[in-house]
Amino acid sequence: MTEEQRVEEFKRAVQAGRKVEAGDWMPDEYRQRLIRFIEMHANSEIMGALPERDWILRAPTLQRKLAVTAKIQDEVGHAQLLYRLVEDLGKPREQIFADLISGKSKFHNVFHYPTRSWGDVGVIAWLVDAAAVISQSALLKSSYAPYARTMRRICWEEAFHLKHGEDIVLTAMMGTAKQRAMMQEALERWWEPLMMFYGPPTPPEQDKDLAWGIKSRANEDLRQDFLTKYVPRIREIGLRIPDPKLRFDESAGRWVYSDIDWDKLVAVARGNGPASQQRLGFRRLSYEETAWVREAITGGAELVA
Amino acid sequence: MQIYEVFRQEREGDPMVHVGNVQAPGDDLARQYAREVYSRRGEATRLWLVPRAAIEEIGDAYFLRPPIERSYRMGEAYRVTVQKRRQLAQEGAHES
Repeated sequence: MTEEQRVEEFKRAVQAGRKVEAGDWMPDEYRQRLIRFIEMHANSEIMGALPERDWILRAPTLQRKLAVTAKIQDEVGHAQLLYRLVEDLGKPREQIFADLISGKSKFHNVFHYPTRSWGDVGVIAWLVDAAAVISQSALLKSSYAPYARTMRRICWEEAFHLKHGEDIVLTAMMGTAKQRAMMQEALERWWEPLMMFYGPPTPPEQDKDLAWGIKSRANEDLRQDFLTKYVPRIREIGLRIPDPKLRFDESAGRWVYSDIDWDKLVAVARGNGPASQQRLGFRRLSYEETAWVREAITGGAELVA
Repeated sequence: MQIYEVFRQEREGDPMVHVGNVQAPGDDLARQYAREVYSRRGEATRLWLVPRAAIEEIGDAYFLRPPIERSYRMGEAYRVTVQKRRQLAQEGAHES
């Protein structure tokens, strides 16, 4: 069998539902795509801990402070699980971190924005995590079995985060006019990043990650699912979604919404978002400041190698 | 640094199920990492840490299949007992 035939056979097998394990033979393109995809996911978990970290000291009650701290630990824990997968695929952690802090690799667009009020903490934990649960649940069917298994645990924990966020939002909506206005203002700033969350509506047949079965659902499909589940829940509690064109088109069976500026998404994800450089700067600083810990653990061996 | 595969028992009496792995320079840190990563919410009654190098894998599905047909090992092959009972019952009816 030639190399090309072997690759084609592998591709057909994963499309037919075959699950791949870490030690199995895999085409180089599949491996590279897995590394890029999972690395970005892992980076997003660890960078996503930063906007919430800012609110540990400012949480309104002790209970909220503990819950925010626990959520942050979970996100960092998810990064740990995912970085292990990337390492097993052949990219060392030192290289992963070097690429993250130099801005070479990417992290999710939603983590390139600043948090301005406690309203952001609620909206992020509720709606950003809700959006993430939808895409991560689709990854339970990934052709790469170690990734799919890891996703079971991650989805289980994200479900708590979502409830924690929803509770923050509901509590504020039951409060004073000022508290409700704070939630409304936060939702207005987060709506655009949320609509960009799943990326552009790339036709499924052009999406190579779909072709390899790394992910199982198309971007627009995920976005439609998010809108169906969450638009009613957002409106029900008295929040207004800042898109006058947003409506469900009964005849087409899908949501229509205002045009999204996909060039802006690309620019933000490349490190030109309002908080991109500040977040990367912080990650760089903390990586440098913890160098002694890594050195103590590895006895310096890893740093020399 | 070493990789330890982690197995978890969620309730007493349950089987140990593979849940993932941790990387650590030695057993002591591996235990701490495993607890933080795999039982942060008290999901485990027991964890096993196994150095990856100690695992002997057989991943060859062909090797794992019995070399000859062995349906007599499975309950499926004895469905015929239902038919046989019915037959015996009918014969018994004739005799009485």
